[in-house]
This record gives sequence, structure tokens and C-alpha cells, in this order.
Amino acid sequence: MVCRALALVALLAACARVPQDDALARLRARGTLRWGGDVQGGEPYVFQDPRGGGLIGFEVELADALARRLGVRADFVQNDWQTLLPSLERGDFDVAMNGLEVTPARRARVAFTRPYYAFAETLVTRRDDGRVAGLADLRGRKVGTLDGCLAVDLLRAAPGVEMVLYEGVEEPYMDLERNRIDGVLLDNIIAARYGLPRPTLREAATIGTGVYAIAVRPDQPAVLTAVDGALAAVAADGELRAILARWNLWDDRQVALAATAPLDRDDDARDGLTLAYLPLFLRGAAFTVVISVLAMALAIAGGLVLSVARRYGGRVVQAAAGTYVEVFRGTPVLLQLYVLYYGLAPVLTLDAFTAAVVGLGLNYAAYESELYRAGLEAVPAGQSEAALALGMSRWTTLRRIVLPQAMRVALPGIANDFIALLKDSSLVSVITVVELTKQMTITAVDVRGWLGPGLVCAALYLALSFPLSRLARRLERRLVPAPA
Amino acid sequence: MTVVAVRALATRRGEREVLCGVDLEVARGEVIAIVGPSGSGKTTLLRALNYLTPFTNGVVEVAGRTLRPGMNEKRDAAILRAVRTQVGMVFQSFNLFPHLTALENVMEAPRRVLRLPPTEAGERARRLLGRVGLGELAGAYPERLSGGQQQRVAIARALAMEPVVMLLDEPTSALDPRLKGEVLAVVGDLAAAGQTMIVVTHEIAFARRVAHRVVVLVDGRVVETGTAADVLEQPRVAATRAFLALEGA
Repeated sequence: MVCRALALVALLAACARVPQDDALARLRARGTLRWGGDVQGGEPYVFQDPRGGGLIGFEVELADALARRLGVRADFVQNDWQTLLPSLERGDFDVAMNGLEVTPARRARVAFTRPYYAFAETLVTRRDDGRVAGLADLRGRKVGTLDGCLAVDLLRAAPGVEMVLYEGVEEPYMDLERNRIDGVLLDNIIAARYGLPRPTLREAATIGTGVYAIAVRPDQPAVLTAVDGALAAVAADGELRAILARWNLWDDRQVALAATAPLDRDDDARDGLTLAYLPLFLRGAAFTVVISVLAMALAIAGGLVLSVARRYGGRVVQAAAGTYVEVFRGTPVLLQLYVLYYGLAPVLTLDAFTAAVVGLGLNYAAYESELYRAGLEAVPAGQSEAALALGMSRWTTLRRIVLPQAMRVALPGIANDFIALLKDSSLVSVITVVELTKQMTITAVDVRGWLGPGLVCAALYLALSFPLSRLARRLERRLVPAPA
Repeated sequence: MTVVAVRALATRRGEREVLCGVDLEVARGEVIAIVGPSGSGKTTLLRALNYLTPFTNGVVEVAGRTLRPGMNEKRDAAILRAVRTQVGMVFQSFNLFPHLTALENVMEAPRRVLRLPPTEAGERARRLLGRVGLGELAGAYPERLSGGQQQRVAIARALAMEPVVMLLDEPTSALDPRLKGEVLAVVGDLAAAGQTMIVVTHEIAFARRVAHRVVVLVDGRVVETGTAADVLEQPRVAATRAFLALEGA
């Protein structure tokens, strides 16, 4: 048995040491070029054909052209845009191609082919905000962009500009229209398709240029050479130009591209996780705590109202409270946050922080109300009888006699729910709030590694939740109604 | 002067009639003992007097107000509160508020219902706790008190509203014999001080010693009523004799 286990370990170790150079051979043998991208990035990169029938986009056509030159078929692999590089490194696909801008941070991690597109960073502002002509005019104001893209570096370098990070291309322009932010800095392709068609927005400036290229694992030089060669051929015989022209993407910037060479991994740019990041993490943790505490306060107040309504209200009130609980417990909190922040924006424009607190609070109120209802049911009938027999009103009886006892029963559950809320608060990053988990993903991009930031992040969550779980345990043990 | 007048009181629980036409008058200063076998409706009668248990027929006049069948906790809250404010109730299982100290238990209703200032409510509570012999334990939570002590706090809590009549529902039946005595002694003191009381009890000896009048309730009917000496020494009805034999009196 032991021998067999050892043999297995030896075999696995041997497998791990197989050189990656034959990756190209395996790619050809398989007959597919697996390329990673994110459909959520939308038009014109890779997206669902609205008329049905699969994926379309200029990168789809480019992938097909490249595969044809390699004598294989292109095979798209859906992957969240933020994690394209980690997934490439894991081997989920052969290349990543989805508007990946060549940045120092990315070059420190992977190798790039020659570029296939040159873009400019376009600053979009509101029409009625006429005096803005560049980032310098947005000092002390908010500018949105996509998490993990080149504009992040530009915005960091701009003094006094507050950066707001988004996960989709539509949302920043929506928020700009609703005055939640004052500018959006993104690639000209995105600005032209998602920002400038909106009548209230205008192009304020072009800030810097960059290129898209195809990312390849640095330990697979043969794949890099082959794909780069295919791209060079596609560019040389005019097919690339034809593809870009078909998508209205051909412009003067593309002419100079042909001369550029592929880029190997740049080890000098590697950067480690240093103590300098600690204040950022602590700030993220502080945000997590503040959001959680405020949301919990709202959840407790809402839960009280709901539980009392469900136990003592008339039939209509009971049904309304019951429906609330079922809806908020039965749908994902992520969806609720989206609806609250983006869906309701035309009628109720909450800022991100308020939306985060209100969204989590409303959701947790449903859970709290169930907890308190159980607490209310645990208070013996003799308690309210004794209070009523003394001449107390029903309201006084509830407030002074029944609720304090019900809350005591519910206390351990409240502590447990708060721990859950602390972790669920990481979901608010989808509405641009930078809390602890978001800080972790941002840092992971900066230092080109997930393990270190992940461990720091986990340690901070534990430091926050451990005392609470101890408290919950103590409260559970001491469920006798009266304090010692 | 009549404090409580019950006429033709009837209640049913589902199909079963619990009380079928009870009449009872209680004068100021009187101590009434209601005795009878288990399930005869004694507790139901007592709880009808402050409408904790609704009744289906008859009338209860108490503390100058009239309770009628079909009253509603929400709609008739004003009348019910007016009655309950003047009718003290002591439960078989004490029902002290576990999250409040003995003193706070006694203070709570004077503070919230009579709106007495805290100092005044506190003084009153301390005096009453002293009266039931618990002056030392004012700061204790109910879980730290024995059953007998809890019931004495409950009596003080009811007295704090200065009720015109006290209803005691088997105040000692949840206590072991060792502790019954201290509660019965307190109730005896109240009787001696002229407090109007209606006591549902199985303590025949106590009823004989303290009650001015004994009401025997069997199967939801008053079968016999009279002075303690008459009813308990020379019962006229067979049902009373059977009950007394069962109680070993």
C-alpha cells in the first residue's frame, strides 16, 4: 500500500517536471487553439450574437484567422476578465486575448505577442461639466475605470483624482450620467461604444496610448513563437486590417503597429508584497467593519419591525412582512445590490457606500426577523399575561417585557449573523466599494500574485471574526435569561 | 360595598362548557376561597375576572367597570387596562420577569402604567418587598430566588398597583411543602390588613383559617357557598363532601 502510494507520488512528480516546450505539439495534436476571454466585456471584443448563433466580435474573427494559420480550430474558453492571467498560468487555455493591454504589471507575469491593436485612453465627462479638459481638472473628484486595466495606472499617477473601480463597461458611464462620478477613463473602443453614444456625455481628452496583445505563458516559448508568427502573417497579408475595418476599428494608430516585435516576460518589473501595502489593507478592513456595523444596525432595526409585524400584525401586515422575508431570503444578495445600485438609479440615485449599507442591511433584516420571531415564540405566554394583568398596554408589554427576553434568546444568532455579514460585505465590491476583499484583488494585480495578498486578507478577516465567534460561543453557553 | 359582581358567567372551550352560569359577589375587605376538584373551572373563573380568559355569556362588574362577552384586546384596550390596573393577579407559576431584578419587577408597572417617578416607584417597591420579607433581596434576579421567594415578589408586584381586589390562582401549588408556609403567611397578613382577595386554593386548612367565605365549584357550577366554618365543617352537598374527602380534610 505504502509502496503504491510512493510510486504514485513519484509519478506525479515526474509529470510535473515534463518540459512545457511540447505545449505546441500538444496544441497541434489536440487540433484546437484554446483562447481565454470574457463575454461580459461585450461588443466589439467577444460577445453573444444578439440574433442568436454563438459568439461574434473582432477577437473571435482574429482567433479564427490565427487558428487557421496554425492549422487548428479556435476554441473559446469563457473566463472572468479579472482572472484571465491566473487562469492562463493554471493552463485553462493556451492564450489569453480579450483587450489585454500591455502594462508593466502584466509583462512581469506573462509573455506577449506583437500587438494586434493600438488604442488611446479616452476621458469622457458630462456635457454640462464644460470646463474639464484633462485629468488635472478632475482633482478631488471621482473618475471611474475598469479594475485591472491600463487606465488604473494612469489614474493612480494623476494627483488628487479619486479612482472608482468597476467590473463592467456599461456601469461607469451610467454612474457618470447620474453624477455618481465625474469622469470615465477607458480605451477609446469602449468609450466609443458605451460612453459617447449617450447624449449627455462628451469626450474631454485623449490621455496616453497603449496596445492590445495576446498573452502566452512565459514557459511556452514555442507557443509564443507560433502564435506571434501567425499574427504577423495575418497582419502582413491585410486580413487583420480587414477584420478591424469590418468592426469600424481601423484608424491611423493601427498603421504603425506592424513594425512592433513580440515581448517576452520582463522579470525586472516583478514586484513583491511589501509592508507598504499594509495601510491599504487596513483601510480596506476598516471599510469592511464600518459597512458591516452600519448594515447590521439597519438589519437589527428592520428585523425587529418585521418580526413584530409577522407575529402581531393584522393579516395584510403579516402577509407583507412574510413576502419581504421570502423575497430577500430567496434571491441572491448580489442581485439585490445590483438592482439597488444600478436598477433603481433612474428613480433613486444612491451613492455606492449608502447602497452597500442599505443593500446588505435590507437583506440581513430578512434573516434577523426570522431569528427574532423564534425568540418571540420562545418567551412563555405567562410573561405577556403577567404584564397585561398589571395593566400594561400591549405595546409596553412587547417593548419592556417580551422583546428584551426574545432578544436575549436571539443574541448568539445575532453574533453569528454578524460574522456572516462581515464576509458577505465583500460582495459590495460589485458596486465599486473598495473593501477588504477588493483591496486584496487590486493588490494581487499589483504584486502579480494571489497567495500573499490572499493570506493577508484572510488573516484580517479572521482577526475581525474570531473575537465575535468567541463572543457568540459564550452567549450560547450562557443562555439563561438573566445576567449574572 | 361590592367590589366584584359576577352574574350568569359561562364560558366554553370548544364544545366543552367550562363554566355554566356562575354568580358571585365579593364585598370590600372580603377574602373568598374558591375550592373544588381539578378541572372544575376555578382558574377559568378567576381569569375571567380580568378578562385574561374571555367568556361567552354573563356579565362581570369589577372596579366600577363592566366586562361583557366578546370583548377584544385591541378594540377594548382602554376598559381592559382600566380593570387590570385595579385588579392584582398572582399566578400559579409566578411569571416574574426574568430579565428584571426583584425590585424592577415590582417597580415596572407603577413606572409604566401609573407613570410614577422612579424614586417614588422605587420607594413603594422597597416598602412592599419589605412587607413580604424580601427587603434584602431587592437586587436579585428571579433565577437566584427560591420558588417561595419568587411568589412573594409576585405578590409584592401585584400589590404595587394598589389593587381593589387581588386574584390569587393556586399561589402555592407549584411550591414544595417547605416553601408553601412562607407564601401562605404573607397572604394571611394581607387578609388581616383588610385586602380584598379571591384565592383559588387546594389548601383547605388555609382556607378555613383565612377565608371569610368559601365557594365550592364543581363541574363549572357553584355547588355550595358559605362561611368557611359552615362549608368545610358541615358541608350540605354531597359533591362538597366527596371533594373534601378527596382532599383529606
